[in-house]
Amino acid sequence: MSKSEKKIVLKSLDNEAFEVEKAVALQSQTIWVMCEDKCVGNEIPLENVTGQILAKVIDYCKKHAVVDGDGDESSEELKNWDTEFTKNMDQSTLFNMILAANYLNIKSLLNLTCQAVADKTKTIDEFHTFLNIENNFTPEEEAQICQENLWAFDD
Amino acid sequence: MSFKNIVRELRGTRNERNKTIGRRGRSHIAPEGSASSSPSTDECLDQSIWVDLPPELLLDIIHRIESEQTSWPARRDVVACASVCRSWRKMTKEEVLKVPELSGLLTFPISLKQPGPRDAPIQCFIKRERATGIYRLYLGLSPALSGDKSKLLLSAKKVRRATGAEFVVSFSGSDFSRSSSNYVGKLRSNFLGTKFTVYENKPPPVDSNRKLPPSMRVSPWVSSSTHSYNIASILYELNVLRTRGPRRMQCIMHSIPVTSIQEGGEIHYPAEFTNQGKKMKKKKNPLMDFCSGNMGGGESVVKEEPLVLKNKSPRWHEQLQCWCLNFKGRVTVASVKNFQLVAAAAEAGKNMMNIPEEEQERVILQFGKIGKDIFTMDYRYPISAFQAFAICLSSFDTKPVCE
Repeated sequence: MSKSEKKIVLKSLDNEAFEVEKAVALQSQTIWVMCEDKCVGNEIPLENVTGQILAKVIDYCKKHAVVDGDGDESSEELKNWDTEFTKNMDQSTLFNMILAANYLNIKSLLNLTCQAVADKTKTIDEFHTFLNIENNFTPEEEAQICQENLWAFDD
Repeated sequence: MSFKNIVRELRGTRNERNKTIGRRGRSHIAPEGSASSSPSTDECLDQSIWVDLPPELLLDIIHRIESEQTSWPARRDVVACASVCRSWRKMTKEEVLKVPELSGLLTFPISLKQPGPRDAPIQCFIKRERATGIYRLYLGLSPALSGDKSKLLLSAKKVRRATGAEFVVSFSGSDFSRSSSNYVGKLRSNFLGTKFTVYENKPPPVDSNRKLPPSMRVSPWVSSSTHSYNIASILYELNVLRTRGPRRMQCIMHSIPVTSIQEGGEIHYPAEFTNQGKKMKKKKNPLMDFCSGNMGGGESVVKEEPLVLKNKSPRWHEQLQCWCLNFKGRVTVASVKNFQLVAAAAEAGKNMMNIPEEEQERVILQFGKIGKDIFTMDYRYPISAFQAFAICLSSFDTKPVCE
């Protein structure tokens, strides 16, 4: 295999090109299928992912790729790296990472990011401040939720 | 982790917010954003991107929270998931959460009206406050073992009436108003304290017969949104001769058919407090009347045989010179109040032979003393926490004629 065959170019939605090792990119099941089918050349357009997010995804994939000599990273270390990776992500990045992981079909990244949301959003206030979801309840539901919360916090 | 601190602070503001809502009452809805000042303006620009999260991913996230936070107070997170917005609520309540019968977990107040788990009992304890006549039911093994992890489930306040005692049961530890939304039901005794009736507060049944014009639907509770249903009768056998011996009690569970404990039997229960929105998922439902009550009177008339519970007879211990029951370590102090309830076996002439033998042996509710003013209560399918609590409360009411 020549050197060029081992590399692959990923092109983001905003036309940013990233050249990565094939082994790194193939962690994405979506890209793997594309390559298997030989339906794409050496350049893969990813229409759902922006450059900013794709860069992060590639960071993750590089860390997790089992490439020559790189595979002996201890799992503990990798875990710490993962924690750091999602720790300071703001909610919109995290959201887009989940979508990207889902689109690119990278199971471990999807797990990591979903878990990050689960960890970050614990109380009602957090949901509303972190996720910024406007609640759309009817007054009746609102009353019921109020009661559920009063009960849950009564101790 | 610094995040935990933020959580704690937020919980503080949350409680404040609750108080304001509580004071204003349910008809006043605070304008959005007024309650919490935290979201910064630039964040608001991103608002609602999470609303568009694909359902399967949302499901994944909520599943994670639900499966991790299985004990209180962490279980609040699941309640929080159901408070975000409609799609989160629907996902949490309808897709992720399982009823206590299957999961053995209590999450929402409605869980207390649903039957307990089939495989292992839910273990609770009751604290009695003599001065105020308030009884509090907590989830947990005992105050010493569970500590901060115990969760207040229900509270009851004893009210003396000329005709007998009454216990008002509430979701709240301090609000015992019968017009409050915290009102769950009540237990009323007769003058002698030998017969008790359990009433459960429920929304009126959804009228299944839609063909009737509204004027034809005669319902006696049109004006009120909820109604009191007689769901159980508890009878203590009169002991006229005052011979020493254990109390004998019998509970007729009007809202639970005896078929529920037969093989393959099931029970239908409320999925939500209101009758708006969708209720029971199961389609054809001959037993629906059991939980919705009938239209005729205040009683839930049972078309099938109701489940009858009776206390397991203790055996006389020659050496200790007392009546004994095996409470498997959950009861430590001898008391006249201690009991274990099992399904009553066939009475002559009644068609009850279908209850498997092991079901007749299985303790459905166990109650007993472990210390001064502290009692344990373990309950399981097919009775609910509220029903179990009501039965236990009846044991607190002194009845000299039964002993």
